[in-house]
Amino acid sequence: MEDIQEILEDFLVEAFELIEQLDQNLVELENNPDDLELLNSIFRVAHTIKGSSSFLNFDILTKLTHHMEDVLNKARRGELKLTADVMDVVLESIDLMKALLHAIRDNGNDTSIGIDITDICHRLDAISNGDTIPEASPVEQSNIEEVAAPVFEEESDYSQLSDKEVEDEIERLLKMRKEEDKKRRESSNAASTAVASTSAVTKSESEAPAPRSAPSKREDTSSAASAPVKKEAASAMEQTIRVEVKRLDHLMNLIGELVLGKNRLLKIYDDVEERYEGEKFLEELNQVVSSISLVTTDLQIAVMKTRMLPIAKVFNKFPRMVRDLSRELGKQIELEISGEETELDKSIVEEIGDPLVHIIRNSCDHGIETMEARRAKGKPEGGLIQLKAYNEGNNIVIEITDDGNGLDPDILRSKAIEKGMITEREADGMSDKEAYALIFKPSLSTAKVVTNVSGRGVGMDVVKTNIEKLNGIIDVYSELGRGTIIRLKIPLTLAIIQALLVGAQEEYYAIPLASVLETVRIPLDEIYTIEGKNVLRLRDEVLSLVRLSDIFGVKQVYENSEHAYVVVIGLAEAKLGVIVDTLVGQEEIVIKSLGDYLQGIEGIAGATIRGDGRVTLIIDVAALMTLAKGISVDIRASAEATVKVKSAPSDFIVLAVDDSAMDRNIMKKSMEPIGVKVLEASNGQEALNMLKSAEHSIDAVLIDIEMPRMDGYTLATEIRKYSKYKNLPLIAVTSRTSKSDRLRGVESGMSEYITKPYSPEYLESVVRKNIKL
Amino acid sequence: MNDKLNNIIQKQQKQIEEPHKKEEDVIQLVGFIIGQEEYAVPILSIQEIIKPIEYTRVPSVPDYILGVFNLRGSVIPLIDLRRKFKMESVRQSEDTRYIVMKGRDNTAGFVIDRLTEAIRIKSGKIGPPPETIHADKGMVYGIGMRDENILTILKVEALLKRDF
Repeated sequence: MEDIQEILEDFLVEAFELIEQLDQNLVELENNPDDLELLNSIFRVAHTIKGSSSFLNFDILTKLTHHMEDVLNKARRGELKLTADVMDVVLESIDLMKALLHAIRDNGNDTSIGIDITDICHRLDAISNGDTIPEASPVEQSNIEEVAAPVFEEESDYSQLSDKEVEDEIERLLKMRKEEDKKRRESSNAASTAVASTSAVTKSESEAPAPRSAPSKREDTSSAASAPVKKEAASAMEQTIRVEVKRLDHLMNLIGELVLGKNRLLKIYDDVEERYEGEKFLEELNQVVSSISLVTTDLQIAVMKTRMLPIAKVFNKFPRMVRDLSRELGKQIELEISGEETELDKSIVEEIGDPLVHIIRNSCDHGIETMEARRAKGKPEGGLIQLKAYNEGNNIVIEITDDGNGLDPDILRSKAIEKGMITEREADGMSDKEAYALIFKPSLSTAKVVTNVSGRGVGMDVVKTNIEKLNGIIDVYSELGRGTIIRLKIPLTLAIIQALLVGAQEEYYAIPLASVLETVRIPLDEIYTIEGKNVLRLRDEVLSLVRLSDIFGVKQVYENSEHAYVVVIGLAEAKLGVIVDTLVGQEEIVIKSLGDYLQGIEGIAGATIRGDGRVTLIIDVAALMTLAKGISVDIRASAEATVKVKSAPSDFIVLAVDDSAMDRNIMKKSMEPIGVKVLEASNGQEALNMLKSAEHSIDAVLIDIEMPRMDGYTLATEIRKYSKYKNLPLIAVTSRTSKSDRLRGVESGMSEYITKPYSPEYLESVVRKNIKL
Repeated sequence: MNDKLNNIIQKQQKQIEEPHKKEEDVIQLVGFIIGQEEYAVPILSIQEIIKPIEYTRVPSVPDYILGVFNLRGSVIPLIDLRRKFKMESVRQSEDTRYIVMKGRDNTAGFVIDRLTEAIRIKSGKIGPPPETIHADKGMVYGIGMRDENILTILKVEALLKRDF
């Protein structure tokens, strides 16, 4: 049933598009009657409409277009000359065709408007057979009255009109419609040429049937009544252009690039702002950057909107489904839908249908009780299911509420134990909310009997998989005896998402923000180990914990601090705490595929390019949760095990960075008494490369400020960018003595500031202090 | 007079046809060094050659896949040919380059030690690969005989095929 409605809508959109084109072609055809191309295109219109209308059982329209096709086909093959008389008939038939299409749009069929086509068909036949065209006969008039009468009864005193008046009325309404069409076209700021030609069309069309009669007075009153109705119908049909989804996808990709560019620009601006504080051009740059970022955001939203469909497309099939189900189950169930105008991405609309079907079926079958049971509980006999959609930030929320029996966590627990899904101990430790989540496990059904509606334990599993695929979250709230609420939270679009950027040691990952519930900072001693699993008590919940660096095998380069950042992620109904080393922040990211070569890597959903041009991987939250189950590292123990093995002074390495070999020698000499190993670098770049390569584990750096290629301040800033060097002692050794120089040293991250000349003993003591020897 | 003209026309005709003939049996390659050996790939399968840029490690992949890098907005995998050929990996030097190769449905960057030169070689001088070398994976297209040395010509499609 919905399918037909959809086809009908498509048919109408297409037909009206074709007609608009037809209008232009007809005018041109009058000027060059020999233009075969024009004739062909008109023929195609008739042919297309014939084909579609016969498929949709619009017999009158089919018959009319069939006869038109005959005439046009002959003309196209040159067997018939298009004289003005022939054109008159063709035009009239096209007008009738339009009237029929309007009737179909307004009433859903082509019979109720009562347009008779017998006469015009006769005349068309006559033309195609080469006979002389019979005059528009009086037969036509009476025919119209016969068929038209029943319709006009609805619209009161129409039946009193004479034949001629009736026809005039039809004619007039048609003209009115054309006027409306014209206005609509004009308002849709089409190119001026298009407007010009359409108005020409209207003119020529109105000329053809016009000299029939003058309007009578009675009509004025009656038409005033019918006009608003028509107008409403006209505005209900929106002006649309059909665009291939592929083109929209391409557009979306381009926008993605733009968003990346914008992110990059923002980052560069931040860098520049720091360096050239107070400069005048910064203000201008700031304006440009913010306006570009604003426009990009608007553009992104606009393009996203072109891909949006109202969720009504999915919701509309449910009233019928619920009606059928309630009859089948012998229950009385009412479905209340709200928020069906909420829009979301086309690809999501396609995915969301199935899960909703399963949820609603379940609500009908298991949720809502039988009438007797409801009466016994003192509830109204009729059950109520509410289907609600609304926006919440960048997500859409769909709520399915029933006032039925609710879920019984105890029954769920015992069922799960029965099926061997959980142990009794696990069941005991399970909160009610966790127990509700059991309904999403495959092969668990609370129904006592398997009906053909539900009870096989498949449906809710489908729900979970599909929602996870969309990065959505499912929440179940239930109260025994009062009802159940299932809440689906789904991100609006799949291509550009908000993400939380986190650091695991030196690596960065992006977690889709839709799956992030919260972030907390906890002291390590709050982590407990239960059966080899790390858990955290967060408020009234016990949360499994896993380190991101353990899952992805990130190289351990620096020690954990006493605190840990935990990102609580939730997907569908499951939750997991992920320990990360740094929280970078929230950012808008564009999802890029890793390509065929790296497709399907567990735990990775894709990649994105950050503002600095680096690639950051996006975490596949569903896969991460699965991966986490296979990890058993005692987080506390491994954090407490110190990696420090250096004890003898000769194990320590100090890097001396100075462009003067003599100065380096002095440094070396001063440190001889300590017995540490000294490495040398002649400029900042060289020193940075040595640190980056991590060939030696350097324990302190002595830095001269004035050096070629990269000066000491820059070097210190660069070194501090690496989290593993956050606490590396950086000792400035310089002849710059002013207070502002010292301040800059502190700003760039130096831990000590020694001015030249210095005594060897002083340097020695400073180094000793910093490497704790 | 007429004969002369004919002669000239024939000559021109020959000149037009000849280079085509030549191109048919000459293959153009780009040569590069990995470890001690010289390898080559057809020039047409190379999208570009770039200096090393930063890449991002990708977890749970074989060790010869170093990660992914950003090539003007595309995310492209980076493969270390040394490790792929079971050689010890070395630190990148001044000469290290990424060769970005494009296959039918894949694009990937390959780390090589250094480039040598563009090579034109007659197809007659390319022999079949010896069965012992890399035969199991079919990565070698053939062995190019040159005046002073030999070349291992690699099959790009095989290099770009995911084998894990």
